[in-house]
Amino acid sequence: MRRQPVFCAFLAAALALVWGCASLDYASIATIAVKTGVKATEAARPISDSEEYYIGRAVAARVLGGNRLYTDPQLTLYVNEVGQTVARKSTRPNTYRGYHFAVLDTTEPNAFACPGGIIFVTRGLVQMCGNEDELAAVLAHEVGHVANKDGINSISQARWSQVATTLGTETAKQYGGVGGQLATLFEGSIEDVFKTIVVNGYSRSAEEAADAQAVTTLKAAGYDPGALTALLTKMQAKQGGATGIYKTHPPTSDRLAKVKSLAPAGAPDQMEAVRSKRFQSLKL
Amino acid sequence: MKVSARCKIPHKWLVMLALTALLCVPALSWADTMKVAQGNQSLYGDPNFSATPIAPVPQGAEVTVVSKSGDWYKVEYKGNSGWMHRGAFAQAQAPKAGGLPGMLFGGGVKETKSDEVALAGKGFTPEVEAGYRQQHPEMNFAQVDQVEGFQVDAAKLQAFIKEGGLRP
Repeated sequence: MRRQPVFCAFLAAALALVWGCASLDYASIATIAVKTGVKATEAARPISDSEEYYIGRAVAARVLGGNRLYTDPQLTLYVNEVGQTVARKSTRPNTYRGYHFAVLDTTEPNAFACPGGIIFVTRGLVQMCGNEDELAAVLAHEVGHVANKDGINSISQARWSQVATTLGTETAKQYGGVGGQLATLFEGSIEDVFKTIVVNGYSRSAEEAADAQAVTTLKAAGYDPGALTALLTKMQAKQGGATGIYKTHPPTSDRLAKVKSLAPAGAPDQMEAVRSKRFQSLKL
Repeated sequence: MKVSARCKIPHKWLVMLALTALLCVPALSWADTMKVAQGNQSLYGDPNFSATPIAPVPQGAEVTVVSKSGDWYKVEYKGNSGWMHRGAFAQAQAPKAGGLPGMLFGGGVKETKSDEVALAGKGFTPEVEAGYRQQHPEMNFAQVDQVEGFQVDAAKLQAFIKEGGLRP
């Protein structure tokens, strides 16, 4: 009989624990856990993958505001197949919403990497590529810019400081402070990235780093890394002036020399002919 | 009477044992399963994108979540164990499993209103984008959606890689 109270207490505690857990809104617990995890990782970096994604989407919308999309299904599929083949072998094979490749309907050769993974290549640049390996070299270089977060890094330091200050305010914590200072900072950030990737181009060091990554990626994917050397040599010979890709990705002698040292032109592998054949079947 | 009392005590302890088991067993089996919502995903050896991919995980696959570290989930899939980024599960439904899903690892990543609440204060969110779109109707977000909506079928990509003598 003396054990009866102990048993009853145990029973009550056990039932209370079970019912207590069952009655908790686990969605709330989940949200708290997600928030905690986010805060822990956010402290170690200036921007989250989701923020990078939303900036990239807006930059892409700005690019598509002034350029027509080339919607040929065969070319779109092909560019995405080549792009995905190299992206999965890059130093950043995955982003918040993945890589997406699209063709812009202009004969001016150029390529743009929006933060987060949307990559544009113009019809003119695809035409300039003589084969699939050279197209892979272009896309691997652009994936390198995404992997290195070169677009995001072009957002001015002053603007980041403003973002950090704004996020500290109570207003911003209420659904991101829409319509307020945060929206202005978002717009400013998009302008910074757009100017860099479309108008001014990346720094020389960013270009060389993306080249080095492209060579590694091409090797890992099974493409000829010498294709990047071949394409840059072709671009330099064309002397395209100071617009388009010659402005955004200038094929300087230094750059070419560094790529040559990393990826000397070699004999094409047996399957290169198969890849070239499918490239030549494209309607450009 | 004494015999009867002796019989009741072990019975109570059996009930207590059963209750203890009720509390402990679900804890052991509360491994969340999450559905992969994005294409071209892989298991990674370490929780970073620079790590070597171990095995591909197709869109729609259900993986068992073992633990969580920051934005990364340690998961098991078809006998392989590795790490997947939370972005792979974006738009996924809440984890489902026997027990109380989401309690161990915080639930799936959903691009829903509740997720927007979770992201609030992080900075550039879907709502900030919505405000920007209102002010800039000239921006072509419709075509961005079109570009993002284009998916390469995983089987076709493998065939493309194989045909070209490339590395999967």
